This record gives sequence, structure tokens and C-alpha cells, in this order.
Amino acid sequence: MKNLITKLLYLAGFLLLLISCDSFVETDLPKSQLNNEAVFEDYATATAALTDIYSKIRDNGMLNGNGIPVQLGSYTDETDSFQSPSSPSEAFYQNRLLPSSPTIQDWWNVAYNQIYAANSLIEGVQNSKNLSEQNKKQLQGEALFIRALIHFYLVNLFGDIPYVIETDYRNNSKIPRTSTQNIYNNLIADLQNASSMLPETYSPAQRVRPNKFTARALLARVYLYNNQFTEAANEASAVLNQTGLFSLEPDLDQVFLINSRETIWQLQSANAGENTVEGSIFIFVSGPPVLALTENFVNSFSAADLRKSNWINSVTDDSTIWYHAFKYKERSNTPASVEYSVQFRLAEQYLIRAEARAHLGNLGGAREDLNKIRERSGLGQTTAQSQTEILNAILQERRWELFSEPGHRFFDLKRFGQLDNILSAVKPGWNSEDRIFPIPQNELNANPNLLPQNPGY
Amino acid sequence: MNNFSFYKGCKAFYCLFFLGCFLSSSFVLASNSLRQQQPNLSQKLVQGSITDGTNPLPGVTIAIKGKANSATISDHTGQYSMIAANSDTLVLAFIGFKTALVPVNNRQTINVVLQYDVMALQEVRVNAGYYTVKESERTGSISRVTSKDIEIQPVTNVLAAMQGRMAGVDITQQTGTPGGGFDIKIRGQNSLRSDANSPLYVIDGVPYSSDPIGSSQTSTPYPSFSSPLNGINPDNIESIEVLKDADATSIYGSRGANGVVLITTKKGKKGKTSFSISSSTGVGKATTFLKLMNTQDYLAMRRQAFINDGLTQYGLRDYDINGTWDQNRYTDWQREILGGTSQINDVQGSASGGSEKTQFRLGGNYHQESTIYPGDFRYKKGGAQLNVNHVSEDNKFRFAFSGGYDSQNNKLPSFDLSSVVRFIPPNGPALYNADGSLNWENGTWQNPLRNLNAEYRSKTNDLIANTVLSYEILDNLTVKGSFGFTDLHTIETRTVPSTIYNPIFNVSSDRSVIYQNNTDRSSWIIEPQINYERTLGKGKLDVLLGGTFQNQVTSTLYQLGAGFISNSLIYNLSAAKSVLVTNNDETQYKYQAFFARANYNWQQRYILNLTARRDGSSRFGPGNQFATFGAVGAAWVFSRESYLQESQWLSFGKIRASYGTTGNDQIGDYQYLNTYSTTGVNYGGTVGIQPSRLFNPDFGWEINKKLEFALELGFLQDRIFTTASWYQNRSSNQLVGIPLPGTTGFSSIQSNLDAEVENKGLELTLRTVNFNNTDFKWSTNFNISFARNKLLRFPGLEGSTYSQQYRIGQPLNINILYQYKGVNPQTGVYEFEDYNNDGNLTIADDAKVLANLNPKFYGGLQNQLTYKRCSLDFLFQFTKQKKRTYPLGLAGVMSNQYRKINDSWMQPGDNAPYQIFTTGYNFDAVLADYYYSTSSATVTDGSFIRLKNIAFSYNLPLLLKETNCKIIIEGQNLVTFTKYEDGDPESIPGFLPPLKVITAGVQLTF
Repeated sequence: MKNLITKLLYLAGFLLLLISCDSFVETDLPKSQLNNEAVFEDYATATAALTDIYSKIRDNGMLNGNGIPVQLGSYTDETDSFQSPSSPSEAFYQNRLLPSSPTIQDWWNVAYNQIYAANSLIEGVQNSKNLSEQNKKQLQGEALFIRALIHFYLVNLFGDIPYVIETDYRNNSKIPRTSTQNIYNNLIADLQNASSMLPETYSPAQRVRPNKFTARALLARVYLYNNQFTEAANEASAVLNQTGLFSLEPDLDQVFLINSRETIWQLQSANAGENTVEGSIFIFVSGPPVLALTENFVNSFSAADLRKSNWINSVTDDSTIWYHAFKYKERSNTPASVEYSVQFRLAEQYLIRAEARAHLGNLGGAREDLNKIRERSGLGQTTAQSQTEILNAILQERRWELFSEPGHRFFDLKRFGQLDNILSAVKPGWNSEDRIFPIPQNELNANPNLLPQNPGY
Repeated sequence: MNNFSFYKGCKAFYCLFFLGCFLSSSFVLASNSLRQQQPNLSQKLVQGSITDGTNPLPGVTIAIKGKANSATISDHTGQYSMIAANSDTLVLAFIGFKTALVPVNNRQTINVVLQYDVMALQEVRVNAGYYTVKESERTGSISRVTSKDIEIQPVTNVLAAMQGRMAGVDITQQTGTPGGGFDIKIRGQNSLRSDANSPLYVIDGVPYSSDPIGSSQTSTPYPSFSSPLNGINPDNIESIEVLKDADATSIYGSRGANGVVLITTKKGKKGKTSFSISSSTGVGKATTFLKLMNTQDYLAMRRQAFINDGLTQYGLRDYDINGTWDQNRYTDWQREILGGTSQINDVQGSASGGSEKTQFRLGGNYHQESTIYPGDFRYKKGGAQLNVNHVSEDNKFRFAFSGGYDSQNNKLPSFDLSSVVRFIPPNGPALYNADGSLNWENGTWQNPLRNLNAEYRSKTNDLIANTVLSYEILDNLTVKGSFGFTDLHTIETRTVPSTIYNPIFNVSSDRSVIYQNNTDRSSWIIEPQINYERTLGKGKLDVLLGGTFQNQVTSTLYQLGAGFISNSLIYNLSAAKSVLVTNNDETQYKYQAFFARANYNWQQRYILNLTARRDGSSRFGPGNQFATFGAVGAAWVFSRESYLQESQWLSFGKIRASYGTTGNDQIGDYQYLNTYSTTGVNYGGTVGIQPSRLFNPDFGWEINKKLEFALELGFLQDRIFTTASWYQNRSSNQLVGIPLPGTTGFSSIQSNLDAEVENKGLELTLRTVNFNNTDFKWSTNFNISFARNKLLRFPGLEGSTYSQQYRIGQPLNINILYQYKGVNPQTGVYEFEDYNNDGNLTIADDAKVLANLNPKFYGGLQNQLTYKRCSLDFLFQFTKQKKRTYPLGLAGVMSNQYRKINDSWMQPGDNAPYQIFTTGYNFDAVLADYYYSTSSATVTDGSFIRLKNIAFSYNLPLLLKETNCKIIIEGQNLVTFTKYEDGDPESIPGFLPPLKVITAGVQLTF
């Protein structure tokens, strides 16, 4: 009997072994991954999550040097493209984009992936318990800036696009389009928040992460595009008044160097010694090139314009002469990096304020800002007098000053209502529906709420 | 299993013990043990010999009827002795023979001749994983291969040993390179993810992960990443059971969807310690080469291409015809570089023995083979295994240990030279200079042998150990604990030394690179179990309850070293100028389950088997970690019904059916987690991290519902035995990346999709005993499987990344191709059907031909013949299938072509099967050649019949007692019959076909 009891005890113990808690199947994280929550409990990891978005903006999609700066140049009247007919770039050059275009699809997907990363950061920081208020503000401010920046380019390329402010795929996969007006309202709200959260100083010093004035510089642009001229002028002034931080570089060859005082925000290269993608694509040393500035554009400069001599270079093979943008001077690596990809610089703020002032009737102020840019380029004061003349002069000046920088020419012509007028003369494939891009076909297939397709596609 | 050659050469001994182990660990014997034995005063010593009429039978169990613990076993000469009373009756049992009942009747010497019994095969207990079941009483679908079939094959991979021998198990060898892998599909492809169709491997009760241990940077000699399965030594395997239907696999729950492969290693046997040593040596050659052009045809093609293109001058780089190279040279590059002979050596040894209560087996093996390439490359493999079994004096406590350690050391060229040799012009220069150095022919060619300087090396050490403890608490209640451990370490490297470049470029070791992959994997498993057995009514009830706790950790470190002071230091990462860590990770997999089985067997006629498992896996998120699987199986052995029991012709008849669910959790670890992972990309001095994926914690198992009906019939004392099984498996809740709009930030999310894949098929086996005389025995085994695979549902297929891979209503293994129309007689260019008449061929609009590349049927035919001391065993494997051809690119450029391309279009009006030659200037032909390679023209008959294995052995007539010496000659892949022209019908294009191997050896047992 005693024996039996012992045996039963064994059995009971054995059965207990079988009953264990569910926690057995919970595992530790793999070495190469960090829990979402943990990322935002530590400033260093949260920063890594943030700065990775800048890497992605630099390396992929619209704002990569091979993205908008190249493709919108040949989409408009800045550059000629000499690639094989099957090259994706030729579709831009010939204004025959299709909803199935892989580049369009790529820009779209990459853009929303970057927005996702920004939203994930905003949500993560919001729920963080350990981050200091100051760090939270810094991180959220930058993420809001990124979200606004990407949406800004999207709305100007694709028209009414969804403004995505959360990470939940269940909502984002069915999201409808947002009207352009509401997109601008969101952009303004995000940028106002960003500018209130971001510090006035740069950290690190090389202006590779946006500060308060970067947010205000984008806000100035957004107000201008949204015809809110008073606000645009105010925001531009806020930036321009920071004379301790910013000033126009008198020497044009200094403007795109890493330590330029004109830079408001630039994208750092991944590795020491690397320079910009733009430089590697625009610059060529022998012909025939794949991409060259149009003759029409090069001839539009007056002979005295220093920008023609300093920012444009020519290459000849005895019979033909080609020109390339020469703002960035380095096409490959140097012992230490000398140029980063500049996204915002002071000259644009002068031109924004000039345009806003012209619309507001402050013609004197407008001329004053415009002349700041002209004088540096070795040109005399503008002769424009009437509001219309001044606005046209500004459009012309923007073309000379901002060529090969991301998308300005296309967006300016669109804003001034001059797209059809100017481009149909020089682009045989142009029609007025080309002012917005097609929504990628796969996107419409996957989310019918985005239907109908943009007109003309 | 066949009884004839079975008896030869002591293998019966192994099998017997194996059987004995099963019998003794089951409760049938345990519960019958009588507590009190009456001492019999009239006991005396009885002895004698046991034969089959001519030869002595070792290993026969002799017991006294009605007395437990009385059994003994006959020795190597068939002799036995035991204590028995005059009134006792001896029970002599031996597998493959009819059990004999012999009364003692006052005799002291009792010699017995046992009668062969083909029906005994039905009495074998097969391993079903957590339990064993008598072949005749099983309710599930289980295929089996035993050591006697495995040992006669000169193979190093366990899957190779199974090829062609099991119905419903489709195995293809990927490459003939030593250490290469095999594809296995048990009853077809169930999961849409092509890497999620592996079966579960269980070695002596320990699950063995077959997840690759290679990496893309290092596993370059093989078509797929290195597999850990090569670590298992086939010669150490006693049996392999493959579990197929729901009844057999549901007890493996979430890991049973793709079938279960159970591997049982050899065990020790009681009796005098016996030793066995076998040694063999052999050679291997490539099975087949492509039929390529000779120099004359090749140069004619080249010249014509220039004429066709309107070119009057040969280019500077057209060395083959512009006079730079000797146009009279001819080298068959395939024979020159792949025509070598691989030397194979193999040594096996074992010692086995023990007492009534404790037995052991110690085994060791060493295998070495060189490659067919020139140069010093070889694959070495060695290992040791130990098995110990013990049972306590009162037969209540049992202990079994099995441990194996295997080590592999491989050195190969870093990629398969088959991929380059076929393109070299047949008048290419000599490989070597007169001084033996590589000939670069003044920089006019890339000597193919330069690639031999780039090496692949791998070292893998693998330990598998398992201990089973059991204790019989009550007569019919036993508790059992199984404890397993695996530990695998592998280092794989690939070098790209500067010596692969022509020395005139002065490339120094500063440009040499090494890639290194360290992968370690270890796991442990604990499985407590309770067995309960009792009679219930007229039947017997068996109940099993158990649990599983498993933990597996895999860690990887991938490194790249570049720039060395000397190439001889290339294997030393610290001598590299720069070292980059490209991946460093550690993943954990945890698994927990409870399982149960209840089996009710009513008079061995009606059998009901219920199994269930509740599984928890760390691969799924909270709330989805647990799921329940279950199956019901039933069998009716109608031949045991009274009205059929006396039948002269029908000796066995059974109908069985099963239905149930299993799952698949092969989705990788951590997919449900909401994490950030490192990107390795720097910004502002910080290495970035990014969101790993869209967070979906809500996905769960793939579910596979399996249905099976089977009929098993034996005629004429089971001399003709046939089985037919019909199955239908439907795999749903497919885990795939569901396509999402880009606005979500990602293109897809890991989730369960309402897609369904059906595998349906019929499997037939036939076993016949054609002759069964004392001197001559001949038996035949045949199996054939017809299988159909179909994608039943896939919502959103059109917009998904799978849109150009799958079609609803079609098998998963299809290719979507252009419709080939022939060569235009006027232009000489291939033409294809332009379905939407838009003048362009696009995949989406014009690729409409669906080529089903699944086999229509496959199987094997095995014959075993024994005449006196000789035995011959051969297996034909056959497959009926379509296969893609392997075009060699544009005909007319400086690259060799198939001989059949001679039959090309030459002038307008020609009706030729191949298009106009061009050097690349005929753009239409270039484009057409590209479309041709993805058109219906490349689908051809890839069926084949192959003499997979042939083995001949002769048992030397030795006068020495207890010594057995056997001479064995084995061949693999010796003959292949096929219409397929572009290489071996089994191989992957660009990789070495399986080798044909012939070995000769001696086996000595004493």
C-alpha cells in the first residue's frame, strides 16, 4: 500500500511537469532587432531610428540625387536626356509616364515607407516613458518635419494624395485621397508644430539634421505655394533674420560646400570621403553624356552672370559642345567629403519673400530681395517695375538660381500657371495633363478608394 | 522488407534485436509478466541448433510457453541452450519465419528447422514516433525503408537512400557535388512559400532542424544553401519511417503538414560481443554530358553568323576565328574538366553485444571522396555512435541512450565548373603551359581552371544525443521521459584570391577576399509521457499522454575579410586589411505541446485510433501561439472475419481511413514582432535602425486537412501483397506576404491568406515473392505514385507578387511561357504568339502557356534475388514529367552550342527548328532568342527510368565458426534511359548531374 502511494506521488509529480505555463513559448529578441517600445526608451536608439530616415531620403526615392533633381530636370526644360528608349529616365524626358512606370511606383512606395518610419517614431516617442521632454520634442519635431517634407513633394507631383498620419495598416490600406487644400492645412499644422518643438541650433554642427529654421524654411515655401503670402513672407523673414546662422556666400563656388553659411539643411553622405549623388550624375568629363543642360537654358543666362561661369561647365568632343550643372564640383570620392546634398538654402528664402512681397504689393521689398540674389551673381539691379514684371523676373531668377535643385523649375512653372505655355514650345510630347503624375497602377488595384486615376492616364 | 536476403549476413540479427526492443518496450509483454513463478523441480539443460533447413539461424528467440523471463537467443552458429522442464513447450520465434511450438518431451537435444513465413512481415512493429504499431494493425499511412536497403547503397545522404523506394515521397538530387542537397516533397507542395515544404525530421525521438546552415555568400558550389542533413550517416540507420496521412502525422501537430521522417539508429543486441568491419572503395563519374558542337561545326556556325550579319571582317576579340587561336584544335571541354573520376573510400566498424539486461552498440565510420574536377578537392566525413539499453532486474525500469557525433570536412571549387565549361569554344587554347602553369594565351581567354583557385571549405560538427527513461508504475501504467540534445557547429568559407586573375594584370593579394559564415545551432527537448493499457470488453485500449518542451537557438556570424599581405594567410581574418561583419544574429525557437493518443483494438479486427496535439510555438504572436490538431483513423481487418479466415487465396485484407488536421509553422522566427532592425547604414555618426516590418501579431498556422482511404490485400500467404491509398490534402490559411498598397509603408504584410492548395493522389505498392526455395529466392517490390497539385483559391492573386508565378486551378509548379510558333522561313527568326496583337511581347499579356513541371507519376521497381550464397538487388527509379530545356544562348556568338543547333535556318525558304545565326547584330534575333528561352519551345519530355541502385554480394564459404565474410559490389545511377537531351533529367541546369558510382567492398563479421 505504501508502495502504491509512493507510485501515485510520482505520477502526480509527473503530471505537474506536463502542466506548465504558456510563458515557455515566449522568446527573447534576436540580436539584430530591438523591440519597438525599447527603441523609444533610449535617446540613442530613438535617434538611430530617426537618422535612418535621413539615410533613406538620401539613398532612395524622390529626394535621392538621381530622383527629382535629375528626372524633373528633363521632364521640364532644364536638361536633355540621351539614354536608350527603354530607360526609365526617357519616359520622364519624353513626358510619357505611365501608371505602370517603375520609377513612379518606387517614388510612391519609398515616400510612404519614409512617412511610416516618421509616424512610427512620432507614436513611439509619444508613448515613451524614459525620454526627457526636451529629447521628445527634438525627435518629434524632426519626424513631423520629415512627414511634411515628403507629403509636400507628393502633393506637388501626384495631386490629391492620402495624407498619412498613423502606422495602422488597416486604416492606411483603405485610406482615401486628401484634397490638396486639406493637405496644405496638414502641412502647415505639422510644420508649425515642428518649428515649435525644434531647437534653434544645429546638432551636429554640420546642418545635417533640420532645426527650427529648416522647418520654417519649408513652411515659408508651403505658404507661398498655398498663396498665403503674408505668412510666407513672415516665415522667410524669420529665417533670413538669423544672420548669426545664415548668410549668402559671396563666392558662388562656396555655396555647396559642407560648411556653407547659406545651407539650411543638407543630407550627409553615408561614408567618409563620399560626396553627392547629384555630382556623380550631373558631371561628365567626356561626351556624349547621358544628361546635359539644354542649350536653350544655358543661352538664357546673360554673359555677365557668374552662375553661368561658376555653376555650369562645358565639355566638347571637337564637334559638339555639351553643358552640365557644376554646382557640386565633385563627381566621386575625395579623401574627406567636401559636399553634401543641399536640400534648403538661404537664396530660396530671399526669392520666396520677394515673391510673397510682390503679391502683397510691397514691390520695393520684393525688388530688394531679388537684387540680393542678382548682385551676388554679378548682375545689376532688376529693371522690373510693375507687379507682373517683378513676378516674371522672380520666375526667371528662380530658374537661374535654383536649376538642378529638387523640382523647383517644375513646381515654379506650375505655380505660375506657365507649364503649358513654356513647355509645349520645347517638349514635343507635352500636354497639359502632364502637370500631375499618374497614381501607380498597383496602388489603385490594391486600394480602390484612390480611384479614379489622375486625368490623362 | 523481404525475408530472403534478410536472413543472409547477420542483418536479420540487427532486425531481430530492433524488433525485440520494440516488443520489450511495449506493454504487451510487460503486463503479461507473472508475478510468481512456481519453481519446477524437474528442470534440466536443453540445447540444440536452429536452421532454416540449410543454414544456421542466429538470433532466434527461444522461450518457454507460459513463463516470463525465460527467453534466450541463438548464437551465430544457430546454437542455443536453456533450462527447461520436461513438460515445457519451447516457443521459437524469428522474424520472417513461422513461430514454432516444440514440446520438450524428455529430450536434451532439440534441433529445430524453422519454416519461412512471408506473412510475418505483417507482424513487424513500425515506428510511428511516439508509439509503435504492428504493421497489420496500423491505421495510418506509413512507408518504411530498413537498413538492409540502405546499406547496399553507396550514398552519404539519408534522402538519397530513400529515393525511389517509397510511394508518395518524391526526392530529387540537386547536384552531384559532394555535400550537396536533395529536394523532398511528401505528397506534393502544400505551402505557397517554396521554402516551407520540408518535412519534420526526428532522429531517435529528437527533432532535427533541416533549416539551411549555409549563406548566400558562401554556399556557392550548391544550388541551395548547405543542409545539415548530410551529417547523418545512412549506414548507422536501422530504419526510416515516413508518416504521411493525418492519422500518423496529427500527433506531430503544427509540424506535421509536410509529413514526418522518423530515423531510428541501430541498437545493440544481447549475446556474445560481435564485431563487424566493412570497407569499400569505388569510383564516381558524371552521368551525362551535353552534346555540344565540335570545332568544325562551331567554326562553321561562327563564320555563317558573320555572313548573316553582313560583316566582312572578324573583330579584334573574335579570337576563335580571326586567327589568334589555332582553328584545328579541338577540346571536349566537358570531358576535359568534368570528365575526371571521383575516388571514394568508406570504412565502417561496429561492436555490439551485452547481457540479458544491458546491451550496447558502438559504431564508427569514415568516408572520403574526391571530386571529378582536376585539383585536390575532397569531402571527408567521419562519425561515432553509441547506443546503450538497460532494463532493471524487475523489468520495470528501462533506460536507453543513443548518441552520435558526426564531423564533415569539405573542400571544393567555390562554384560548379559545369556552369562555365559548356560555353568555351571547342578550339579554345590549352589549359596549361609546358611548365605546368595555367595558360592565359596572352590574355585572350579566361582559363576556366583559374576558378579552382577560389575555394569553398566547410567544417561541420554535429552531435545528437537522446536518453529515454521509463518506469512501470503499475502493471498497465508506465511513465516515460525522453531527453534529447543536438549541437551543430559549422564554419563555411569561400575565397576569391588574386590568383584567379591573369598575372599580367598584376593583381596582388591586396585584392583577395574571403567570406566566412559561422552558424551554430543547438537545441534540447524534453518529452514526458504516460502510457496506459488495459483490456476493455473484447478489445484492448491503449492510451498515451505526453508533452513536449523544445528550445532551439541558432546564431549566425557572417564576415568578409579583404586585402591580405599574402594569399597563404587568406584563412586568417586577422591578416585582412579590412574585416566587415555583414550579419550577426541569434534567433530562438521555443515550442511546447501536449499530445494524446487513444487506440482501441477490438479482436485485431476493428481498430480505432484517435490522436490529438495542442501546440504552442514562439513563431507566433500572443494569442496565436496555441492551436489544436487532431485526427481519427480506423481500420477493419476483414480477413480476420470468420467467413474469410479459412480463405485459401486471401491471406490478408484491410481497409483503413483517416481524416484530420495538421499544421505548418515554417515561417521563420519573430515574424510577428514589432521591432526595429539594424540597417548597417550610417548617418551623422549613427548606424540606423528601421522598422522591420508591418506589425501583425494576428497570424497563425497554416492548416492542412488530410483525408485518406486505403486498401491492403495479401494473397496466397501474402506472397502477393498490394496496397492502394488515395489521399486528398488541402492546405489552407496560407501564410504569405499579403500585398498591400504602398500607403501602408510596406508592400506586404505577413498574414494568413484565404488561399487553398490541394494535393490529391493515388499510391500503389506491390510486393511479390516469386520464388521461395531454399536455394533460390526472388522477390519484387514495386511502388508508383500519381499526384496532382492544384491551387484552389487565392484572393487577390492578380495584384500580388505571385501574379506571374501561380494560376488558380493550376499546380503550383508551373512556368508561364510565351507560345512558340516556329522559325519564320523568310527572316529566319523565332516567332511567338502575340495574343493582344500590340506588336510587343509582354509577360502580363502574352505569356499564356502554362507548363506543368510536376511529375505525372513516379516510383520504383526493386528486385531481390538470392541464390545460395549470392544475392543481387537492383532498383529502377522512374519519373514521368515535363522539364524545361536549357538553351545555351545566342547561336553565333563566341560561345559553344548544342550539336542540334547545326540544324539552323540558313536562307529564306528554310524550314528549320532553330533560328538564324547572328553575332549579336541582328537585333530581332537577339530579342527572339531571349523570348525563346521563356517560351513553350523549351518544354520537353523530361521523363526517365534510371537503374538507381544495384548491389551484388557473395557470402564467402568460410570454415571458421562464427565468422562471416561477404564481398559486396554496389552501383548507383549506372544506367539512365531518357529522351531529355540537355543534360541529366534529374539535375538543375548549370550544376553537376548526380554521379554514377560503383564501389566494391568487404564486410567481415565475427
